[in-house]
Amino acid sequence: MLRFVVRRAAEAVPLLFVVSLLVFGLIHAVPGGPLSLYLENPNVRPEDIERLRRAMGLDQPLVVQYWSWFTSFVRGDWGYSYADGRAVSTRMIERIPATLQLVGVSTIAAVVVSLLTALLSVRRTHIDHVSSVLAVAGISLPVFWLGLVLQLLFSNWLGWLPSSGRTSFGDGSLSDRALHLVMPAAVLAVAHWAGWMLYLRGSLRAAMATPLPRAARARGIGEVRILLHHALRLSLLPFVTVVLLDASIMASGAVVTESVFAWPGIGSLFTEALAKRDYAVLMAFLMCSSMAVIALSFLADVVVRALDPRTRSLE
Amino acid sequence: MRATRFTQAVAWTALSLVAACGGSDKAAEATAGTSTSASSELLIVGYDREPDTMNRYATHILEDIQTCVIEGLVTNDEKMRIIPVLAAEIPTVENGGVIMRTDGGMDVTWKLRPGVQWHDGTPHTSADVKFTVDAMIKGDWKPESTDGFDRISSVDTPDSLTAVVHYKEVYAPYQMQFARGTLPKHVLEGRDIDKATDYNRKPLGTGPYRVVEWKTGEHVLLEKSPNYWRGAEYPKIERILFRFVSNTNTRINQLKSGEVHLVALVPWDKVRELSGASAVRLNRVIGNGYEHVTLNEKHFPPFAELEVRRALAHAVNREQIVNSMLDTLVSVVNGPIQPLSWAYEPNVRSYAFDPAKSRAMLDAAGWKTGPDGIRAKNGTPLSFTLITQAGFAIRENIAQVLQQQFKDVGVNVSVRLIDGTSISSVWFAGDFDAMLHWWQSGADPEITLFFASDRTPPNGRNINYFADDSLTRILYASDRTADQDKRKLLLQQAQRRVAELVPEIVLYNTAKIDAVPATLRNFKGNPTNAGPFWNVHEWELAPPQ
Repeated sequence: MLRFVVRRAAEAVPLLFVVSLLVFGLIHAVPGGPLSLYLENPNVRPEDIERLRRAMGLDQPLVVQYWSWFTSFVRGDWGYSYADGRAVSTRMIERIPATLQLVGVSTIAAVVVSLLTALLSVRRTHIDHVSSVLAVAGISLPVFWLGLVLQLLFSNWLGWLPSSGRTSFGDGSLSDRALHLVMPAAVLAVAHWAGWMLYLRGSLRAAMATPLPRAARARGIGEVRILLHHALRLSLLPFVTVVLLDASIMASGAVVTESVFAWPGIGSLFTEALAKRDYAVLMAFLMCSSMAVIALSFLADVVVRALDPRTRSLE
Repeated sequence: MRATRFTQAVAWTALSLVAACGGSDKAAEATAGTSTSASSELLIVGYDREPDTMNRYATHILEDIQTCVIEGLVTNDEKMRIIPVLAAEIPTVENGGVIMRTDGGMDVTWKLRPGVQWHDGTPHTSADVKFTVDAMIKGDWKPESTDGFDRISSVDTPDSLTAVVHYKEVYAPYQMQFARGTLPKHVLEGRDIDKATDYNRKPLGTGPYRVVEWKTGEHVLLEKSPNYWRGAEYPKIERILFRFVSNTNTRINQLKSGEVHLVALVPWDKVRELSGASAVRLNRVIGNGYEHVTLNEKHFPPFAELEVRRALAHAVNREQIVNSMLDTLVSVVNGPIQPLSWAYEPNVRSYAFDPAKSRAMLDAAGWKTGPDGIRAKNGTPLSFTLITQAGFAIRENIAQVLQQQFKDVGVNVSVRLIDGTSISSVWFAGDFDAMLHWWQSGADPEITLFFASDRTPPNGRNINYFADDSLTRILYASDRTADQDKRKLLLQQAQRRVAELVPEIVLYNTAKIDAVPATLRNFKGNPTNAGPFWNVHEWELAPPQ
């Protein structure tokens, strides 16, 4: 196991280096830069632009800029935001809790609902039909559209839920936080629930078609017990892998959700940094996302190896 | 049993996540719920973007929040009149505040309002004016624009309420030089201003409000300053909360649901949606900006022909655009200086919608219609690309209307939409044929940087790449004239020349529409980027009926 961990960690280092090169190249290839917004003000003169370009280090060749960023990043210095001059690490750290909260709650919700609906779909045809239609809708509906429709319905018309934000001003109570979380978490969960439910349902059906349930039935074991103890156990392994791999994608999917619901997480920080071409923040966000993907896929491997002895013998 | 434990575990994890990272909310002492009415206790503003910094000289976005905290020596009101705030009066040639020196320079004497204190109780003095100028000239930090400051040689402070600013040359827009206020010497002296986070996040000002809390990504909370110089009765609203909601639809939804009370600069395509909301009043002022089609002569040489530019101007039905697409929120105008300005010249050549005249002018200029219906001359088709900002719904629609109207006179136009950040670098590089956009100007009527022949990027914003020696001479003469009456004559001459030569197709002026609580009194709006908060100290909320 230790060898496996060391090997995977060693693989991650060159991968992250390549990712950083690609990401750096790509964000600098996009037209516009941190100075673009200054141009809108007619009173910002060429001398100002040149002065700001030098102050931000943007007058250096790209290779020099990259190397300077890379060496600092490796040392743990993520630089300063072009937009507000504060340390990028500070800006990221203050936003991460909100995103973890949103992604955590929606992942749990999506997992629980996927499990329930997949199990019920296998048992009941009419539930299967309804959940299939909902799943297709969940996959097809754009997150921003669903978010706005829910806002109209639950905030503007029914007045049950706050339309956005993380808390109401002047209220930090648990119930207030929970109410604010409902819509963004639901929107984020729906898209993933749809995919996960279909995946798990397929796995369950495949498991039910193996000789194992037939043998169990022959021994007089009930259908529910067969489903939960045999089919679900067989299906959980690939399901856990998919959930872990998707959870990292969910964090990036939160970019749109956070923007629609004014959720103060790293997703909305990313949107803001993209609009301002805040290279330092963009690099930090994209590197963190890459590290999260690598870490979670690593975790998925570890879980699979822990749960399935066959994978260990493959080494 | 196992299932119960599993359920419990999930429930506890979910609850912990909900409660996680809550911390103590400094604002939690109030009792406002999700949706409230605006009151003299609290006004909630739905704001489209979080500030980068509260330092007015360093920010490159609108300064609405800062305006409530940091006052300028002057500002401009809803009619674009420059009015004194921390200055006791506006220095002019007539009142002896501006003296022309024989060496070509000028001296401007600012008399400061007595009895003004910074929020910490320190008096606001001429030393702060001098410190600000010195910091701007030194430039060892990142002020957004040093325009004007670079023409100052020094500042004398004969007494604590007088600052004499010595300019190396005549600088006509001197009145707005300190519209962004002053930097507090006693807080910032000897420090790296970029890294003075205490000031940049919670600036010391003299204004009606002070910053209580800036919760990143969520809000800035302002509360009434206890020692405001206008007296204890000002401001009349205790606290203002700027809540950051970048998504326009969400911001409008919040306004309708009462979660926010005021939204500044409502997009024009949302006006109809809000006009039925009873708790909201839409305040409209004509903005000091104008929408137009820039014709880049360098990138598309046919625009260098005067007859082509005039013919294109006659091809556009501006009244139809204003009446049917913009619900008459704005008006057709004919030039870069707007009717609000003291320098406005109404008697200029205008270009009425007349497609027959447009076709005849193009025919006469040698642009003949080919078999495909597109005009051409010497093998060059009259075919260009019009760029405009993606996501600006009304502008996208108007670009299509222009495309159709130009097609009717045999001119082929392709529309290309570019995102808001990228488009600046595209036009700054001059890499486009034509662009539909606006310029929003301050209260001073300077237009030299848009039309003088040597002010093409990077030296200015003449992105028509238009050159006319006579116009350039007039414009520079106006910049070097501090006497307003004489400057007005020069600027009127310039406006007539611009209209004659039509370097760009001027469409209509802009409107600044702010959605405010129906019960809010003394809200006046503002035509410039001074923003609607310029008189926030006067705002008053009538008690709910």
